[in-house]
Amino acid sequence: MELILNTVRKIDYDQTKEFTFGDAQSLEEHLAIAFLNPKNAKELNLTKDAHIKISNEEGAIIVKATEDEKTPVGSIVLPVSIWANQITKIEDTEIYYKNVKVNVKTTKEPITKYKDIINKIKGD
Amino acid sequence: MRRYTCSGCSLLCDDIMIRSDGLFIDEVIGACLKGKERFDQITAKNRITSPMIRKGDKLSKISWDEAIEEVVKIIRNSSNPLLYGFSNSSCGAQSKAIELARSIDGFIDSNASICQGKVLGIANEFGFNLTTLTEIINKTDLIILWGANPAETIPRLLNKTLFSRGKFRMTGREIKTLVIIDPVKSASFNVMGVRDIALQIEPGKDIELIQALKEECCQADSIPSEGVAGIDQEDLKRILLHIMGTENGVIFLGQGILKSDKENRLIREILEFIQIINSKQEKGRMSLIMMGGHYNMAGFDHVSLSLTGQVGGLQFKEQNVINGNKSIVTKINSDDFDCSIIVGTDPISHLPSTLSSKLSKRPIILIDNQMTGTAELADLILPTAITGIECEGLAFRLDQVPIHLEKILDPPSNLPSDEDLLNQIVMKLNEKGT
Repeated sequence: MELILNTVRKIDYDQTKEFTFGDAQSLEEHLAIAFLNPKNAKELNLTKDAHIKISNEEGAIIVKATEDEKTPVGSIVLPVSIWANQITKIEDTEIYYKNVKVNVKTTKEPITKYKDIINKIKGD
Repeated sequence: MRRYTCSGCSLLCDDIMIRSDGLFIDEVIGACLKGKERFDQITAKNRITSPMIRKGDKLSKISWDEAIEEVVKIIRNSSNPLLYGFSNSSCGAQSKAIELARSIDGFIDSNASICQGKVLGIANEFGFNLTTLTEIINKTDLIILWGANPAETIPRLLNKTLFSRGKFRMTGREIKTLVIIDPVKSASFNVMGVRDIALQIEPGKDIELIQALKEECCQADSIPSEGVAGIDQEDLKRILLHIMGTENGVIFLGQGILKSDKENRLIREILEFIQIINSKQEKGRMSLIMMGGHYNMAGFDHVSLSLTGQVGGLQFKEQNVINGNKSIVTKINSDDFDCSIIVGTDPISHLPSTLSSKLSKRPIILIDNQMTGTAELADLILPTAITGIECEGLAFRLDQVPIHLEKILDPPSNLPSDEDLLNQIVMKLNEKGT
């Protein structure tokens, strides 16, 4: 399913807080997460504790999916994080953290680990 | 107890009561969640308190002398260094960083250039109306949050501006109208009252909305009956009525606008819209405030303007600024750098992976006080004191007002401030005759 990605700052899903006080596990718990409208969740056949794979030409991540009435239909919201930035994009001289087209599908695969993202950035 | 200014975000609340014996902070009263986290950073488990160098996959502690030597070595081996960050550093540190960039013919840019700094660049063409928090508290009767969610990003902003009673607004919240324009029904929607206007816009259609409002300003009844960008015609007319009738209105521009704008078209349209309103308004005016998050997001451009006469990215050549029309995005994306000095920010986590991957391929010197994604890949980490708690400094609040931050207690392990450390690097480089 094609959705529009918006990255937002959420006080309970704060990357700086997790880096300062948490560890890799708490980073994954609080930031490898996406919010989408129940209508879209139903179309994706999302079950409780299901994971979703979000991908575009920039890359792909697997995160937990949470239903959220406040997210508009057709959108998917991720907290600002290293996970979200695997699928945010650059066009010409601009960075796009908002309104990025992504493909979303349910998956049984585990969520993308923080260490795996770091290794990917490093090129390992 | 004494009153201090909090450096937890760009609001720089100057009413935080703190009890401290100069060694520990015993009590903090009045800080929001973000402010409390800032004070908790002092003893955070991921705090870095000694310099470290990467050997293979591991970071090893080294002495300060060795660390400065290593910094000098990396810089001396570089012909195209890049300096980035500084929105979490004092103006003194920003000034010293520009001095360093000048002395090594580097490129320097701040986080503001991918955030609120865009507005300043465009304001060169149009001009724009700024206002201060004091003016908002005392006079404002209309607050528009556009792509902004202060309830979660700058938590006390609405306490200070919407719920306050000012000199000319003694009845406070009751006579202030709040308008929120956002595609997501954010936490800030929860403070809305019956007179307020919530506009849940379709994602990516802000430009259509602003153009419709501009057109309606110039020619009445031009809004199509089906509305614009998912917003009803009646709601659009209502909001315009408020804007045209305000005695003192303010638009807070949030990350939703600052970080989604193709070729800055939207910011241009908003600045033009404000110009049109203010030219037609007979009794009042609209102003603008950019909602950068980091405590000194606004500072770098002030420092840069005073030192070089320019804002945005600065490319030095033979110790002079040249007009390279480069930004941090174009520099990294075109691999136009051979080492980076990152201060108080985390580009490995905050930039899209295309850029963070390129950044990680060259030596990274990180000046910061905690573990981050960038610390995971940095070749050298130099920790510093937390400004506004462990060292003093100057910062510009989100309304562009300079505020002095005081030192409350001594840093652990005698950590230097960002400014002191950058000064040591400049002096060491001069000593070596580079």
